[in-house]
Amino acid sequence: MPKKKISCQINGHSIQVEEGSTIIQAFKKLNQRICHYCWHPGLSVSGVCRLCMVEIEGQGKLQIACNTQVQEGMKVSNQSEKVKTAVRWGLEYHLINHPLDCPICDQAGECELQDQYMEFGSYDSSMSERKVKKRKVLDLGSKIVLDTERCILCTRCVRFTDEVTKTHELGIFNRGDRSEIGCFEDKPLNNNYAINTVDICPVGALTSKHFRFKQRVWYLKTAQSICTGCSTACNTYVDYNEEGIWRVRPRFNKEVNGHWMCDKGRFLFQDMDRKKRLHMALEANDKFWNFLETKVAFEKIKTLLENKTAHFVLTGQYTNEEYEILLKHFSNSVFYIWSQEGQFPKFDKLLLREDRNPNTKTLKKLFPKIKPLTKLEKNKNEIPLLFVLGPENLIFYPDLEEKTKLFSQVKSLVWLGLVKNKFLVCKENFFQIPMKSSFEKTGTFTNYKGLEQKIDKIQSFNSQAVSVEDIIKLLKTDNFKLKEDRAYFKQNQFLNSNQKIW
Amino acid sequence: MEHKLLTEHYHRKSYSTLEGYKERGGYQTLRHALLKKPQEIVEEVKLSGLRGRGGAGFPTGVKWSFLPNNKEDRYLLCNADEGEPGTFKDRMIMEKAPHQLIEAMLISAYAIQAKKSYIYIRGEYQKAYLLLLKALEEARIEGLIGKNILDSSFSHEMDIYLGAGAYICGEETGMISSLEGKKGQPKLKPPFPAVQGYLGKPTIVNNVETLVAVIPIVKQGAKAYRQIGTERSPGTKIFSLSGDVLNPGNYELPLGYSLMDLIYDLGGGMRAGHSLKAVIPGGSSVPILTAKEAERTRLDYESLNELGTFLGSGGVIVLDDSRDMMDILSIILDFYHHESCGQCTPCREGTGWLSKLLKKVCKGMSSQRDWILIQKIAENMQGRTICALSDAAAMPAISFMKKFRNEFEQCLYENTNSSVKGVKESKHA
Ligand SMILES: Cc1cc2nc3c(=O)[nH]c(=O)nc-3n(C[C@H](O)[C@H](O)[C@H](O)COP(=O)(O)O)c2cc1C
Ligand code: SF4
Ligand code: SF4
Ligand code: SF4
Ligand code: FES
Repeated sequence: MPKKKISCQINGHSIQVEEGSTIIQAFKKLNQRICHYCWHPGLSVSGVCRLCMVEIEGQGKLQIACNTQVQEGMKVSNQSEKVKTAVRWGLEYHLINHPLDCPICDQAGECELQDQYMEFGSYDSSMSERKVKKRKVLDLGSKIVLDTERCILCTRCVRFTDEVTKTHELGIFNRGDRSEIGCFEDKPLNNNYAINTVDICPVGALTSKHFRFKQRVWYLKTAQSICTGCSTACNTYVDYNEEGIWRVRPRFNKEVNGHWMCDKGRFLFQDMDRKKRLHMALEANDKFWNFLETKVAFEKIKTLLENKTAHFVLTGQYTNEEYEILLKHFSNSVFYIWSQEGQFPKFDKLLLREDRNPNTKTLKKLFPKIKPLTKLEKNKNEIPLLFVLGPENLIFYPDLEEKTKLFSQVKSLVWLGLVKNKFLVCKENFFQIPMKSSFEKTGTFTNYKGLEQKIDKIQSFNSQAVSVEDIIKLLKTDNFKLKEDRAYFKQNQFLNSNQKIW
Repeated sequence: MEHKLLTEHYHRKSYSTLEGYKERGGYQTLRHALLKKPQEIVEEVKLSGLRGRGGAGFPTGVKWSFLPNNKEDRYLLCNADEGEPGTFKDRMIMEKAPHQLIEAMLISAYAIQAKKSYIYIRGEYQKAYLLLLKALEEARIEGLIGKNILDSSFSHEMDIYLGAGAYICGEETGMISSLEGKKGQPKLKPPFPAVQGYLGKPTIVNNVETLVAVIPIVKQGAKAYRQIGTERSPGTKIFSLSGDVLNPGNYELPLGYSLMDLIYDLGGGMRAGHSLKAVIPGGSSVPILTAKEAERTRLDYESLNELGTFLGSGGVIVLDDSRDMMDILSIILDFYHHESCGQCTPCREGTGWLSKLLKKVCKGMSSQRDWILIQKIAENMQGRTICALSDAAAMPAISFMKKFRNEFEQCLYENTNSSVKGVKESKHA
C-alpha cells in the first residue's frame, strides 16, 4: 500500500513527502542545504552531531531535522539567524579539538568538515586552549587505518558495522571528550564491506590503506561504472587520472546496491595495474612468447580460421553487445561455457553473489544450448581453432591453471585476457590477445535479476587491447584499424602503487 | 518545621526490617491499593499534583498516562542512581526504609500494570544496596513479590541492579541503556520511554522519592495530600542541605517552605563570623542564587522558576563568604566534563572547553574576553543535545559568570598579584 502523502514547507518551498519522512529527508528532496554529519541515508538515525538544526514554526526550541518527522502543514526553516548561530557553534564544537591536519590528511578536498565549515562555519575560532590529544595511525586490520584525533564521533562507522554487516567490530570506547572509536579486541575490521566505513566517514579518521597517500582527490576525475565482480553488478564511481585508476567507490542505486559495495569488487581495479597487464599481443613459437601488434596477430589468426569452424569458450564477463555480435557472426560455431558454478559461497545476503560474473544472465539467454567444458574435453582433438574469451577478473577463476591445461591441448588457440596467462603452453599457433577491461569499453550488463545496466568507456589504458566487437571487425573486415587511443602510462608522480604504507 | 509525611518513622532502627515496617502500618496501603482499579490510582496520583522528585519535576500521573492503553508488557524502573552533586535524600530513604520503596513500587507497578520492575541503584550505595537486597528477599518470602500478591490477581517481580558509578546512568534513557547491558548513554527521543523504553517496551522511570510519595497519596487521597505544600506545588519534598551550614542533613519540608528558614532555623546557619554568599537550590545543575535572591525565595517549583532557577533534585548547597566562586564553578564543570557521555558534540566538546577555561580562570591566566566566551559556549550548549547534562553544565556556568562577575574579574591576569607571574593559588589542584 502506498504511504499517505503529507505537505509541508521547507524554507518557503512547498513539498509533499511520504508520511513518516523526517525533515532532513524533505530538505534533501528539495535540494535545500542543511549541515549534518551523523545522519546517513543508509543508516539509522543517531542524532549526535546536533548540526541539522531547524526552526519549526510554533516551536520555540530548535529541533534536529534528522529525528523529527514531518507533520501535515509544518513550516520548517534553517535560514534564521538563530539556526545559523546554532550551526556555527555546532561546527565550532566539532573543530575545537580537531587537529586540523588538512595538509597531511587524505580526506582533504572531500572532507565534510572542510566543506561544511566553509559553508556554515564561523571562520574565526574562539578556541585558544590546549587541544585534547588522541591516538593517531591506529591499524584497524588489513585494510583500514584510524586517526582518532580526526574522528568527530558521528558513529556512522559503528552503525554500519552494527546495522549493515552486523559484524560489530567497532565501538566507542571511553566517554566525554576522551571518547575514541576502536575495534573490539581480536576483532579487526576486516569484513568484506569494511571500506564502506571509509566512504561514509565524513572526515579523514578512517582511511583505506590501498588509497592512503596515493593521490590528492582534486587531481582525480570521477566517472560512473558498474562493478564486474559478481552478478549483483553494484553501481560505482571510478576515480582516475592519466596515471590510472586509483579508487572505486559505490554509487547509490536503490534497485541494485543501495549505498554500498563489497571490498572484493572494490579491489578489482587493481588488476588494471599497468605492470600486470598484457599490453601487446603474444604469439608463441616452441620456446617463447613473442610480442606483436594485435592487428598483425589477427591477420595470422584470420588465415588459421579460413574455412574452418571456430569453437569458443565463453565466460560471463562480457557485455550483451559482445555476445550479440559474436552470435551474429559465428552462429554456426560451437560454444562452451567456462563457469564457476558451485565454486563460491552462496549469496552473503548483502550484495556479493555466488556467481562472480557480471553477465551470466545474458550469456545463458543468448546461448541456450551452450556446452559444458566436459564436451570440449571430448572434442579437443577435432577443434581446428579455439577462442577462449577469458575472464577479466581472474581472481574469481581459481581453476585457471587446470582449465588452461585443457585448452592447451587443442591445435590452435586464441586466448583473450587482461594479463598474460602464464599457464598457457608455448606452442605454435597459440596467441594471447590483450582485452579491454570494463573501464575501457561501452556496453551493457544484465545482472542476476535481469536489470540491464550500461557501462561507458572511461579511458583507454591500452591502445592494443580489443573488445569482442573489435575482434569481429578485425576478423571480418579488411581495413579495420584499432583506434590509437592515448593510453595512460604516464609515470606515477608519487608512490609506487604496491609500496607498503608503513 | 519539618513535615514528616514520608520520613515519620525514619528515626526507628527497626523500620528498615520487614517486621518493623509492618508494625508501623507498612504494606497496608498496598493491600488497600490492590482493591482499587489500577486506573483509579493513576487518577489519584494525577489529582495529587505530584511532580517528579528526580530533577525534572514532570507531573507523575501525566507521565503514567502516556503509556499505551493496551496489554503490552511494560516496565517500572526506579531511579536510585542519585548522582546529582549535593543530593543524598534517596540514599536515606533506601537505608532507613527499604520496604517503603518496595511497597511504593508495588503500588505504582500495579497502577501502570507492570509485571516487572527494577531498582537501578548507584554503584557507590553499597549499604543501601545490601539492605534492599535483604528487603527484597524478605518481601518475596512474605509473598509480597511474586504471584498473586496478597491474594489478588496481581503478580509482580522486582529486581535490583547496581550501577557502576556513572552520573549519566541517572538520566532515564541512559539508565535504560545501562540496564539493557549497553554502554550507559542516553537515547535519542522520540521515541519516549513511555512508548519504547527498556527492551523496546513501554517503560516508566521514576525517582525513589517520587515513588515513595505515592504511598500517602493512595493512603489518604489526593485531597489530603494537596493540603500540604502550596496550591501549585503540593506535598512535601526532602531537601538535602549541605555546604556551609552548621546542621547539614535531609529535611522533609512542605513545598513552599522558606529557604532562609531551612538554612537558619533547621540548618543552624553559618559558622560564626561568616555570612551567606550564595545558594545552589536544586543540585549542582541549577543556576545559583545570590544571598540576596535566596533571602526572598521559597522552596517550591514556581518560586524558584521566578528567580530563573529550579527546584531540581532538592540538593541545597549553601556557600558562605569564605568560598571562591570561580573555584566552585571550576569543580562543578570538572564534574560535568568528567561525566558527559560524549555522544552529542556540543556537550562532549563544550564541557571540556568550559572546564579548561575555568581552570585557566582559577590560575589567574584568563583575560576579559573569557567572561563573554564562557557564557557563549554555555548558551550554545543549551537545548541542543540529547539529554539535559549539557544544560546542567551550561546553567551554572552562565549564572556564576553573570552573578559573580566581580570574582571573575579578580582572577584576571591583570588583576592578580603579579609578583608570582600571575599565578593565583588555586584551592583545588
Ligand atoms: C544527566 C542527568 C542525570 C540525572 N540523574 C538522575 C538521578 O540520579 N536520579 C534521578 O532520580 N533522576 C535523575 N535524572 C532525571 C531523570 O532523567 C528522570 O527525569 C527522572 O528519573 C524521572 O523521575 P521523576 O519523574 O520521578 O523525577 C537525571 C537527569 C539527567 C539529565
Ligand atoms: S571514524 Fe569517521 S565515521 Fe567513524 S565515528 Fe569517527 S568520524 Fe564518524
Ligand atoms: S557485491 Fe558484487 S557487484 Fe557488488 S561490489 Fe561486490 S563483487 Fe562487485
Ligand atoms: S547531552 Fe551530553 S551526556 Fe547527554 S547524551 Fe549528549 S553527550 Fe551524552
Ligand atoms: S544529522 Fe541530525 S544530529 Fe547529526
